[in-house]
Amino acid sequence: MRKTIFICLLGTLALFFAPWAATSQAQEPIKIGVISPVSGNYGDHGALERAGMEMALAELGGKILGRPVELVVADSETNADTAGRRVRAFIEVDGIKLLMGAVNSSVAMAVAAVATERQVLYIATNGNSDELTSSKATRYMFRVAPSMASLGRAAGTYAIENLGKRWFFLTHDYSWGHSGTRWAKDVLTKNGGTEVGEVKFPMGTRDFSAQLLQVRDSDADVLMITAAGFDNVALMKQLAEYKIHDKMKVVYTLQEFVDIYPLQPQEHRGYYATEVSWDENDQLKAASEKFHQQYPKAASPVFDNGNYNGYVAIMALAEAIEKAGTADDVEKIIAALEGLEITKNLRDKPTYVDPRTHQFLSKVVMVEGNPQGSGSDIWKIIRTYDATQFDMTPEENPIDLTKK
Amino acid sequence: MLTLSLFLNGIVLGLVYAAVALGFSLVLGVSGVINFAHSITFTFGAYFFWAMYKHVGYLPAMLLAPAAVAVIGFFVERLVIRRVYGQDPLFGLLITLGFAMGMEELIRMVFGPATHNVDAPSFANGVIIFGNFLYSQYRLFIALVAAIMVAAVWLFTEKSRYGTVVKAGMFNSEMVGALGHDLYKMRIWILVLGSFIAGLAGILAAPIWSVKSGMGSSILMPSFLIVLMGGLGSIPGTLVAGLMVGITLSMGVLVAPRFVDIMPYILMGLIVYFWPRGLMGQQNIIE
Repeated sequence: MRKTIFICLLGTLALFFAPWAATSQAQEPIKIGVISPVSGNYGDHGALERAGMEMALAELGGKILGRPVELVVADSETNADTAGRRVRAFIEVDGIKLLMGAVNSSVAMAVAAVATERQVLYIATNGNSDELTSSKATRYMFRVAPSMASLGRAAGTYAIENLGKRWFFLTHDYSWGHSGTRWAKDVLTKNGGTEVGEVKFPMGTRDFSAQLLQVRDSDADVLMITAAGFDNVALMKQLAEYKIHDKMKVVYTLQEFVDIYPLQPQEHRGYYATEVSWDENDQLKAASEKFHQQYPKAASPVFDNGNYNGYVAIMALAEAIEKAGTADDVEKIIAALEGLEITKNLRDKPTYVDPRTHQFLSKVVMVEGNPQGSGSDIWKIIRTYDATQFDMTPEENPIDLTKK
Repeated sequence: MLTLSLFLNGIVLGLVYAAVALGFSLVLGVSGVINFAHSITFTFGAYFFWAMYKHVGYLPAMLLAPAAVAVIGFFVERLVIRRVYGQDPLFGLLITLGFAMGMEELIRMVFGPATHNVDAPSFANGVIIFGNFLYSQYRLFIALVAAIMVAAVWLFTEKSRYGTVVKAGMFNSEMVGALGHDLYKMRIWILVLGSFIAGLAGILAAPIWSVKSGMGSSILMPSFLIVLMGGLGSIPGTLVAGLMVGITLSMGVLVAPRFVDIMPYILMGLIVYFWPRGLMGQQNIIE
């Protein structure tokens, strides 16, 4: 008798607390570790990707799978060692299993190494190096931004079809710069164009007078540039100073809005391959407007590459978690991401996640700088390409992450 | 034709490098301090100029901004540099480097991390064309200003009475002090002058590079190099070394563009091997 009463009591208690237990588990927030530059020279680039993530999350009502989502930010200081340390703390101290961020490839590689070792998911947002989805690819890393293969070949294809067949190359002398030039050259040789010359310039170059005198002296009709950062700002100013635009068409394998925004109108002339343009469609225009209202002090007045990649990273993760039905089982989320079609990508066609390389495939766009424009009108979109047609082929990149 | 235009370009570049190194050389020669805060005075010059040139006009800002930098130089001397006079030059190097790094972060906090734009002045915002040869007017303008700066400092040290004392101080500071000249005061004024020159150099660079907090670090090594090559405190030496670096960098692009940034170091190695005090150096304060 006593035993029966005891069991009944226990049963009642269990019934009473069961719903609490269930809800408390459901309400436990999903923590996403964001590794992104907050201070230093790339702080403003980091702010853009974080704004994109926040906007995506707000659109999801702050919840995935009914659970609130918390973005925990750590400053990468654009330094691979610091980023690796901070990510370890995320995993070991905060128990975070979902990571995203990093504006450049060297930081992304460091984060990917830790993520692979600890078997947590990492979505690299803005690094473009080919290595991220080839030699350095790992099962635990996905990459949102297009590879340099896609960007370089898009720039090359546009240039060969519309601008000219005699090219001079100006290349930032490190692995990223080399890959931009490599893929543009690939297009040039396949289409019977001529390489007139190439100058590789070291990182930290501030004065381009000698290089530009040489460029002017050539009879090229296209100047194909792969350059980034503060060096590139100086280069763009000097392209205008030396009136290069009057002699040939200037084409960039990658350019970001935020980098050309501070320049003088006559300095942003040329044709640029990029990842997204705010004037691509109505959805992006609306997102751009919303972004400018919510973040009026941001370094870019429009939805830029950084914003877009942060936005898509969150949407991809949300769709994968919904599909997997869990936010805690990393293996299941990876399986859900592979081959996923992300529909909430602000474009008419979904973004496809290539299971072989873990590369997100959407579009690459060509824009033309507008020397008469100001504010958001400093460039306009002239062409969109499907990134699938330009990304590295299985022959160029034999990695296959589907094989374990 | 290309060779000739690269050579002329090298001379223009060299004049600018000489001007950038000038303040560094003066301070090192007179005070024996390897002043790595030179880079931050360069950056301050560019920022102050950017903040004021649209309000007060181009040429007034070219005087006011370096003057403001000179005031900063005064305080840097009082608060930082005077603590390391007479000590191992490494102390000076470290304390000024640390100071420069702190100031760089301060600039980022105050002005933000974004790049700022400075226009070239309207009177020099074009190109000069002779047939196939083209040159930027602004570059010629900065070469002219740089040449004036170098000449003015040279006249000051060679021809003025105070300059003679300063020069004497470079070689034997104790004797100059013993003769009743106030060495401390002299060192302050030289740092103020050095800061003014560095600030002006920052202004000249701003329309070509644009303005960013880290811009000063890229002139530090060339300055150091030029001073070692030219000889401590020697104005003609600084000019010659600056021209050598400028011409090497410009012509080097024809030969091996990937390695141009190493060439000045090789040049320095050779010069210091054969002339340990630099091309025109004499026995000096830090020996």
